[in-house]
Amino acid sequence: MNKRLLDYLLALLIILTLNFMLPRLMPGEPITAIYGDALVEMTPEMKSHLLERYGLDRPLGEQFAVYMGNLFQGDLGYSYYFRAPVAQVISGALPWTLLLAGTSLLFSTFLGIVWGVEAGWRRGRKFDRASLVTAMLLNGVPGFVLGILLLLFLGFYLQWFPLSGGASPYLGQEGIARAADILRHLFLPALTLTLVQLPRNFLLMRSSLLGVKERPYVMTARGKGLRERVVRYRHAVRGALPPVVTRVGMSAGLLFTGVFFVEVVFAYPGLGHLFYLALQHHDYPTVHGCLLLITVCVLLFNFAADLFSIKLDPRLRENARQLLGRT
Amino acid sequence: MLEINDLTVKYQTPRGALPVLEGINLTARKGEVLGIVGESGSGKTSLALAITGLSEGRLEGSVQFQGEELLGKSREEWERLRGSTLSIVMQQAGEMLTPVLPLIEQVMEPFLKKHPRQKDEAFRRASAMLHKVGLEEHSFYRYPYTLSGGEVQRALLAMALIAEPELLILDEPVSSLDALSKADILTLLEELTGECTVLVISHDLSTIARLADRAAVLYCGSVLETGPTASLLQAPRHPYTRALVRSYPSLYGLKELQGIRGEFPSLGERPGGCPFHTRCTQALEICAQQRPGTVEKEGGRNLACHRGGVVELLRGSGLKQRYALKGKGKDPYLEAVRGIDISLDEGEVYALVGESGSGKSTLGRMLAGVDRPYAGTVSFQGQGFFQLSPAETKKAKRDLQMLFQNSGEALSHRMTVHELVAEPLFIQEVGDPQTRREAVRRALRWVYLPDDEHFLNEYPHHLSGGELQRVALARALVLEPKVLIADEPSASLDASVQAKVIKLLLQLQNERGFALILITHDLALAARAGDRVGVMHEGKIVEEGPAADILRRPLHPYTQSLLGAAPSIGGANLAATGMPSPAEPAVAAAEGPNGKPACSFSPDCAHSCEECFRYVPPLVRVGFQKVACYRYA
Repeated sequence: MNKRLLDYLLALLIILTLNFMLPRLMPGEPITAIYGDALVEMTPEMKSHLLERYGLDRPLGEQFAVYMGNLFQGDLGYSYYFRAPVAQVISGALPWTLLLAGTSLLFSTFLGIVWGVEAGWRRGRKFDRASLVTAMLLNGVPGFVLGILLLLFLGFYLQWFPLSGGASPYLGQEGIARAADILRHLFLPALTLTLVQLPRNFLLMRSSLLGVKERPYVMTARGKGLRERVVRYRHAVRGALPPVVTRVGMSAGLLFTGVFFVEVVFAYPGLGHLFYLALQHHDYPTVHGCLLLITVCVLLFNFAADLFSIKLDPRLRENARQLLGRT
Repeated sequence: MLEINDLTVKYQTPRGALPVLEGINLTARKGEVLGIVGESGSGKTSLALAITGLSEGRLEGSVQFQGEELLGKSREEWERLRGSTLSIVMQQAGEMLTPVLPLIEQVMEPFLKKHPRQKDEAFRRASAMLHKVGLEEHSFYRYPYTLSGGEVQRALLAMALIAEPELLILDEPVSSLDALSKADILTLLEELTGECTVLVISHDLSTIARLADRAAVLYCGSVLETGPTASLLQAPRHPYTRALVRSYPSLYGLKELQGIRGEFPSLGERPGGCPFHTRCTQALEICAQQRPGTVEKEGGRNLACHRGGVVELLRGSGLKQRYALKGKGKDPYLEAVRGIDISLDEGEVYALVGESGSGKSTLGRMLAGVDRPYAGTVSFQGQGFFQLSPAETKKAKRDLQMLFQNSGEALSHRMTVHELVAEPLFIQEVGDPQTRREAVRRALRWVYLPDDEHFLNEYPHHLSGGELQRVALARALVLEPKVLIADEPSASLDASVQAKVIKLLLQLQNERGFALILITHDLALAARAGDRVGVMHEGKIVEEGPAADILRRPLHPYTQSLLGAAPSIGGANLAATGMPSPAEPAVAAAEGPNGKPACSFSPDCAHSCEECFRYVPPLVRVGFQKVACYRYA
């Protein structure tokens, strides 16, 4: 377990280094690369303040030390577009993204697993074939197209759901009313994202189950008279789940890409939306901050998935132990 | 009570519905252990799955357990039955237990299904059952992928027994285990099955012999023979059962292993009619056309064979032969054979052993129809041989060939190889010169001799002893006889050539399927070659029985002394293992009624008593052996 944690820490360090190096590898002074267009509006005093604060005129090694130090204090730089520290800007957007990503992840994983199991179990029958076709079609539609379609029909024509934003502004709602409002706003983007991820999870679960379905132990379980549902979910799925969990964890990057597009389509006030705005206005500190946060999120996500699949499958646990040379 | 009636299982394949099981009829009484024997592909597992409702094929017929019809039950009903009324231990095929759940949890499941809230009780019972099957506490929480095959098998057994089933189905319960775990589990099974009806399925005859009260032989989806296990395996009546038993190695049988001739047909290419007819040595036309019905025989045996099981080909009853003595004495005749009853089954190898002068060859000549007996009859395929018309006799002789002692010498030195081998065809007026030449070539190939023109025109004096013997064998086989009587076929040859000739003879016997009487003075050879061995002493058969039994437990003192004197080069003579060796007679030789002792061996016998000198001991049955000795009378 510790070994795994170390692996992840190492990965984090590499990412941080990359994040630090990239703007500095660009031609010109680092400050130009980091602040870009904003420099034009800056007074010389502000410029020298920045240079000093982030040590941008010092040797690379010192710059890195300062960079890391700032990072640990939560200082991600200053956004000239939003006129606020990047950390503050991002922390305003992060909860929305986590809400959206979390909801869709939960639903797409759960539904994908159940759908995949039920279809795979009936391999070659009508339900399976129909599911497969549906999943393939769904898989072929890009997230933003799907989002726009849903927006158009459910939001614009039927007017069941709000068209944009994370909550209705200026209503001053409290408690349950506000929660309901947030959920209403969440519905369309979350649905879009769920539908985007669902086919992948479905296909994964289905094929993983097919690999397990014919195993002798499934027959043993059935032979001892367990109910079909128990055979399916307790015996077959337990063995088929770890690869699915790992893959879901590894697809966290894709999840965030999806989130970004969907947030833009629905003008959802999350990181994606923020990122889009920052990119449009060449607000590089914010862009960097977002990227950094997302990579960290993806790492955390992978780590969690790793832990979970180890919990699911004792064989992986054994493997982890052997890697450590312990018993 | 389990009753299977006319059960048919068909699997849907792209080439249509293929029947895996056809018209199965089986019953097992309460508490009985019924064994199902068969090779892989015979449909054993399909049967187990059909009975437990796990078969994916289409089922017809009826399977009743305790009067309840099982076929056509819904999935829910099956789920209720399995793990309570009936349990199955499936054949080991890799991951038998879910690898990601601790062992004991899986063992608890059947109990928890019945009593969902009694988790503690389930645990208690599962531990007790796991202990019973010989698993230690430290294994209980292990994951199945860390368990050995034997441990998994034990766990599966525990899992099947925890439900306290009334019907237990064991599919190859020990075949994936090494010898010691196998013995362990078999002992366990004997202890644990107790009250419930058990269906044990295996390709392994020893497992069936050990566990089953009654056994059924399954071949290509049909039950060919059923009966009490001991009698079924010791005295098989169906040609397939016999062949199966013959193919099974045992520590006591010295007989060379011979597979069953031909290949096991694949599912798509099953022969019509009797499924075994393509490999059977006694198949008639009807066997290929019609499925044989099952007929009840004495001793609780059932048989599905058009010919009523293995057919008796040749029988000699009360055979006597005497030769006039030239010298003068009390008795002007030498009684070479003094009343012998002998029979030979289809496809059987009967080894006739005895010292020189015991009358073996004389008996062989009578059985082959070469010499007419002084008294008694020989019947071949049910017809008295010496009552046949000359034409019929000639026809019968086609099927009854003899390979004479020193047959190399018996070949005329004036004839070429081709003429020698073709002569029987010529005498029997078979075919034209062209087809005869082909037949000669084929026969020569059977015995691994060259079949080119040069060799065909060779004269016997140019050939070696081994080659001559093989030419003689080719000559005997060219008519494809049903019976071959081979008189000391290897006696005059060097050891290495001897071995080759005997191996060839037995291989041909298995391939061509003829019945063989092998006359030899060598008990070791007899035991190695024969299904049955008959021991002759001074014109009488003193002991007869399955080769393995004769070797393991010779009954007659003469057989015992033969075994003791059996040639050996390792020094580890059988005599050293406690067999009595020839000894001084226990009773001083007395004159019998005819001035001769009644039991011919009594003068040399260590166990002889007064009786032995007075009366002729009758041939009595002891187990599967027959012996003529007062000690068993």
